Amino acid sequence: MLIEQLINGLTLGSIYAIVALGFTLVFGVLGIINMAHGEIFMFGAFIGVILTTSLQAPLWVAFMSAIVITAMMGFLLEKFALRPLRNKQGVSHLAPLISTIGVSILLENLSHHLFGAGNHPFRASFAQISFEIGSVTIYLVQLVIFVISVILMMALSFWLGKTKAGKALRATAENLETASLLGVDTKRIITMTVIIASAMGGIAGILVGMAFNSVTPQMGLSMGLKGLAIIILGGMGNVKGAMAGGLILGLAETFIVVYGDSGYRDAIAFLAIIIILLIRPQGLFGQKISA
Amino acid sequence: MLAELINPYYLQVASFVLINIILGISVYIPLSTGQLSLASAGFMGMGAYTSALLTIHFELPIVLGIIAGTLVAGIMGVLIGIPTLRLQGVYLAIVTLGFGEVIRVLFVNWESLTKGSVGLSGIPHMGREILASLREFGFNPQSLGLQNNQFIFLTIFFLLLVITAFIIWFFRRQHSSRVGRAFAAIKLDEKAAESMGINITYYKVLAFAQGAVIAGFAGALYAHVLAYISPADFAYHRAVEILVFTVFGGSEVIWGPVFGSLFLTLMPEVLRFISEYRYMLYGLIIIIMMAVRPQGLIDVHLLELLKSKTAKRRQKYGAGNQKSM
Repeated sequence: MLIEQLINGLTLGSIYAIVALGFTLVFGVLGIINMAHGEIFMFGAFIGVILTTSLQAPLWVAFMSAIVITAMMGFLLEKFALRPLRNKQGVSHLAPLISTIGVSILLENLSHHLFGAGNHPFRASFAQISFEIGSVTIYLVQLVIFVISVILMMALSFWLGKTKAGKALRATAENLETASLLGVDTKRIITMTVIIASAMGGIAGILVGMAFNSVTPQMGLSMGLKGLAIIILGGMGNVKGAMAGGLILGLAETFIVVYGDSGYRDAIAFLAIIIILLIRPQGLFGQKISA
Repeated sequence: MLAELINPYYLQVASFVLINIILGISVYIPLSTGQLSLASAGFMGMGAYTSALLTIHFELPIVLGIIAGTLVAGIMGVLIGIPTLRLQGVYLAIVTLGFGEVIRVLFVNWESLTKGSVGLSGIPHMGREILASLREFGFNPQSLGLQNNQFIFLTIFFLLLVITAFIIWFFRRQHSSRVGRAFAAIKLDEKAAESMGINITYYKVLAFAQGAVIAGFAGALYAHVLAYISPADFAYHRAVEILVFTVFGGSEVIWGPVFGSLFLTLMPEVLRFISEYRYMLYGLIIIIMMAVRPQGLIDVHLLELLKSKTAKRRQKYGAGNQKSM
């Protein structure tokens, strides 16, 4: 029982971690909270549902399409909602936040019109396959989700740490002007960051569809809000913090459902960030910035 | 003649416009010190639930219920405002957003008190209560040539109109006072304001709490005008809607949120076909406004322009008083 819940928590947490990574990448490079990330995630989930159930496409096709479409959404988001605000005189630092709230509202209601308000079940053929180790039941889906998440996180860490593009991205995150003086094409890096973050959101969307067997237009909002909570928990712009924060939140939510009141599940994330911000504003893994 | 003109439906819409104007102002006030608060919907919900529960269970007069709701929201505003002062910009926005979510989850789950997502019904209706108490003094709306229904909505409308006018008047006065100048200084540059001897902690908490008080007040009014509330009324969408009023109308002068609330509340009523796409349109409005005119439609510049135009016209025709504004 305990081990099964632990596995459930880790599955949920690894999805949260991927969503939070999308937030943290954008925040790290641009200093912007992308409120539309949850909705892009939700579109990824819908693309997965529609391709696998309505069009009977295999899962890998659904994955590829979700990645491509959400990446395109990221590109459009950057081009129409973020770029016009950059380097503009007299724009408050809150403008990009408000602008992405606009995108999120637009996308959520667009999906209401496109897909309907109801719940869409996700029928992955292997969803019910499970095997038992001792007395513990593990679903294959959970394993797949966990493996994909870990691969994604490792790939991202490697890419950020070792490749030239990753280094350019980190340099841009450190200081945009200096990076551009040193010959980094910051405009390209910014676009690329938003695209990668959005594609990760799309992947997380399909994974959530598989894990919970349901996709609704409202899921973007709740997931987006949790992603925000996680990056505050883990420290803004901190990649490792986002991963750890996601796992912590996933486990915490799973255990409150088991041992506490399931109704308050969605409130944990926010109670946690309110407490974190009061005690340790830089987040669990963040470094103190001197003002 | 009068009786035909007074359509309860129009009056109802007009009442919502006025409540939305108050809500728009509740975002504008913290924003005038540079704090983006997305907790207005949460404070509104606290005001609404406090007042509704007190009037339902303890049969308190509506006035006392509204005052209690406003106070609870205000106290909560101070409690949230003091710790969140350490937070800047986006952090504050997220925490206030999170606060709103926590409040909503609380309303949904505290079923013994709030009846969960079903919502509270049977809240004393402001207009009906006024009518009932006037009846005791022997007043009958028919003597004015009005039906009961018309009289009820008319009283609500005028009551709200007076309240809204008072709130606008108050904040316009405050804007040109010591407090208003402090707010403006903090918005421009916190460090500079502090070095000039402005107590930023005090003024930021003041602005945040004022926003909370106004939102709680609007929520309490909302509960007694609609007589039915549910947690969904105070969710994220409400917070965004209130934000859009201010962003669209303008966040520099108080006429911005007033205009924004007026326009955006009336638009779906006038253009019926739009109401289905209302939120999509809200999203587009936000994106376009931020890219093209981030300060909102009505800004200081526009007001100056209007003022100088009317002044010129006066000079030209030699009419009107010559008193300077």
